[in-house]
Amino acid sequence: MSASSTSAVMSVPRKSSVAEFGMWVFLVSEMLFFSVLFFGYLVTRLHHPLGFATASRHTDVVIGSVNTAVLLTSSLMMALAGRSAAAGARRSATRLLAATAVFGMIFLALKGLEYAHDAQHQLVPWRDFSLAFEPDAAGARLFFWLYFIMTGAHAVHLLIGISLVLFVMVGVARVRHAIHVELIEVTGLYWHLVDIVWIFLYPLLYLVSRS
Amino acid sequence: MHSSPPVATYVKVWAALIVLLALTLGSSFVPLHSVNLAINLAIACAKAALVAVFFMRLRRSDALTRLAAAAALLWILILITLGLADVLTRV
Amino acid sequence: MSAAVSSMSYLGAGYSLRSWFTTRDHKRIAILYAVSITVFFFMGGTAASLIRLELLSPHGTLVTAETYNKLFTAHGVIMVWFFLIPSIPATLGNFLVPLMIGAHDLAFPRLNLLSWYLYIFGALFTLAALIAGGVDTGWTFYAPFSTMFSTSYVVATVTGVFIVGFSSILTGLNFIVTVHRLRTPGLGFFQLPLFVWAIYATSLILVLATPVLAMTLVLVAAERLFGIGIFDPALGGDPLLFQHLFWFYSHPAVYIMILPAMGVVSEVVTCFARKPVFGYHMMAYAIVAIASIGFLVWGHHMFVSGQSMYAGMTFSLLSYLVAIPSAIKVFNWTATLYKGSISFAAPMLYALGFILLFMLGGLTGLFLASLALDVHLTDTYFVIAHFHYIMVGGSVMAYFAGIHFWWPKITGRMYSERWAQFAAVVIFVGFNVTFFPQYILGIEGMPRRYHDYPSEFQVLHVFSSAGAAILALGYLLPFVYLAWSLRFGSPAGPNPWNARGLEWQTASPPPQENFPTKPDIPARPYDYAPEPAAAPS
Repeated sequence: MSASSTSAVMSVPRKSSVAEFGMWVFLVSEMLFFSVLFFGYLVTRLHHPLGFATASRHTDVVIGSVNTAVLLTSSLMMALAGRSAAAGARRSATRLLAATAVFGMIFLALKGLEYAHDAQHQLVPWRDFSLAFEPDAAGARLFFWLYFIMTGAHAVHLLIGISLVLFVMVGVARVRHAIHVELIEVTGLYWHLVDIVWIFLYPLLYLVSRS
Repeated sequence: MHSSPPVATYVKVWAALIVLLALTLGSSFVPLHSVNLAINLAIACAKAALVAVFFMRLRRSDALTRLAAAAALLWILILITLGLADVLTRV
Repeated sequence: MSAAVSSMSYLGAGYSLRSWFTTRDHKRIAILYAVSITVFFFMGGTAASLIRLELLSPHGTLVTAETYNKLFTAHGVIMVWFFLIPSIPATLGNFLVPLMIGAHDLAFPRLNLLSWYLYIFGALFTLAALIAGGVDTGWTFYAPFSTMFSTSYVVATVTGVFIVGFSSILTGLNFIVTVHRLRTPGLGFFQLPLFVWAIYATSLILVLATPVLAMTLVLVAAERLFGIGIFDPALGGDPLLFQHLFWFYSHPAVYIMILPAMGVVSEVVTCFARKPVFGYHMMAYAIVAIASIGFLVWGHHMFVSGQSMYAGMTFSLLSYLVAIPSAIKVFNWTATLYKGSISFAAPMLYALGFILLFMLGGLTGLFLASLALDVHLTDTYFVIAHFHYIMVGGSVMAYFAGIHFWWPKITGRMYSERWAQFAAVVIFVGFNVTFFPQYILGIEGMPRRYHDYPSEFQVLHVFSSAGAAILALGYLLPFVYLAWSLRFGSPAGPNPWNARGLEWQTASPPPQENFPTKPDIPARPYDYAPEPAAAPS
């Protein structure tokens, strides 16, 4: 393909492979899966604006923001991995996949640390909930339950994503080029969706009332 | 096989995402009350769009794939809109 | 070995259990589903029989109130999730969609098998809960009873349903990709049989709606296990939040249950009227319209729940809107019959029954969509009659129509037409005797989910239970003569009904790869000319 025809080539939509289209359809179901939590959050926040504001101030905005950057960077790694794979650069693709997985694991490690801190500060709405005597304590409780459920569901999906990345990296080193590219592509789609979910979780959980 | 965008494109998108992250975080410390939420959601949508269009390559996907993505968004909107039609109009 | 099953057919490709349980052949997976859902149909039917026995007398004699609650819950959970939702899509859909589009299999054959295993796993989970003591919340699991007060096996049951949900999602995914990508060259969307359109639209609903149920059930379990309070007003939560989330799925779910049935009816009516369907394009658009608008009406289950009046009005208006494409379909089937060359083989008897009973059920839906009427009719037997007319008079009859119509293709055998026609009539009569009195019961104020009732309702309940006995007999008959036909039925040729559609261009039963020679694509679907169908034996 000559350089002068590159722009013409890039403007023609590529027909997605059967696997890619299948993954997109699956991602549609994943989006609807998470939408329940977002809607539940929305309704509960409408009922409890004060409790949500109070509780959100107790989230660890440093870890939350760092983690957001970590995940965005992991998506860059994943996208570049797909690019390398398509170009036939297997070693580059493998390294980038490894980087993706590492960033994902950093996220989970930081999240684990954050959960430990949350527990220490008695932000788990069991007994001795530290916000139990705030005005709109009910709202604060609900906020933190949603926080744990939403970030928990996200973490489970991230774990699945990391497993897929590792599987594609290690388990299929010897398959045909076309299949390899396809597998990396669909894994990437899943990974980016997990990133997008976090993109929305971040402001809704960490930035409700910082001023 | 279609040729992919250059590495620089991906890095620029990533840079934009980080800038948006800084923006959303920074603006949260400015007391703008309900406007803060609007800004944060708008920025989140922008970040999601960047990831979807560039990293997920929706930019060069066929119409059917884009339709699938759009359908998911529309259906989530249906849940939220009609659901809020109840919650917001209770007396 | 019988002549009907050649070593080349999909049935002959391996006789071991292992060859069945590790198959990737969509046709074998269809049969795995068919056997499974039949088992669950009889379980759900047993629960219904016990319910109708109990309701023979006004004051609880057979079972306690708690047991009665568990019976109608079991009936609903089993019939909705383990019978109706998989029924046509996972059996007839799985078997026929690749054939109808000229493909070798679905897009993701291994995923298809995984779907069946998820179904079995989820179903067994729920069965375990039922055997361990059951659930008494109703299939609708309303909070706060399900989350706070019920002492039954709620978490286990919702877990089972959650798992089965993923079976549905993957099946829907498979069909969507298959219909878009695996059609034989030259076969456009508007040349497809309406059955494929119906399965496709159903699959869209499966993918979009089921995940919402799945996460909602997670929240129910979390609420129940941890007392998070999201649905509990005392803890600042909103019980209506549960209802919105539940019905966002469960209303489209009823379209999952009816659209495939409508697809079957279009196939059968055209064949036995020897006419192309009237208004093919409108029929296809109507299918898509039902699937789409069906997502906008869920609040009509919540008119008296405390939902805002304005939301109620919105949902009421939208519910009237969704009736329009359904009505278009009924008109078009009728117009298809008009001046057709009609014969009354068993599939056609079931299809004709569908048209009438679906129409009656659908019309009563409009009464329920009217806010003022619903205040009186909601949670009464009127609602029960309404949805049984559609689900049983509609979906189940269409399922039977499909089973009979495609029986020769699937098994290579003809069933006894006389017994089949007899059974169809018995089912039709039994059905109406069972459920028509329930409309009257509802209008007169008999509430649903009550086993103890004022004695003035007894006469109608006795009629209804008598009808249920007739209906049960009717359902047992096909079980017998269809099984008999597997051994003793006369071998069927490739096209015993002289029907149109690619599936009739291959052997009965089809070879494993479906089409040894490329099938002829007809210029248009339902390319019937007025000549008689092959005479049934």
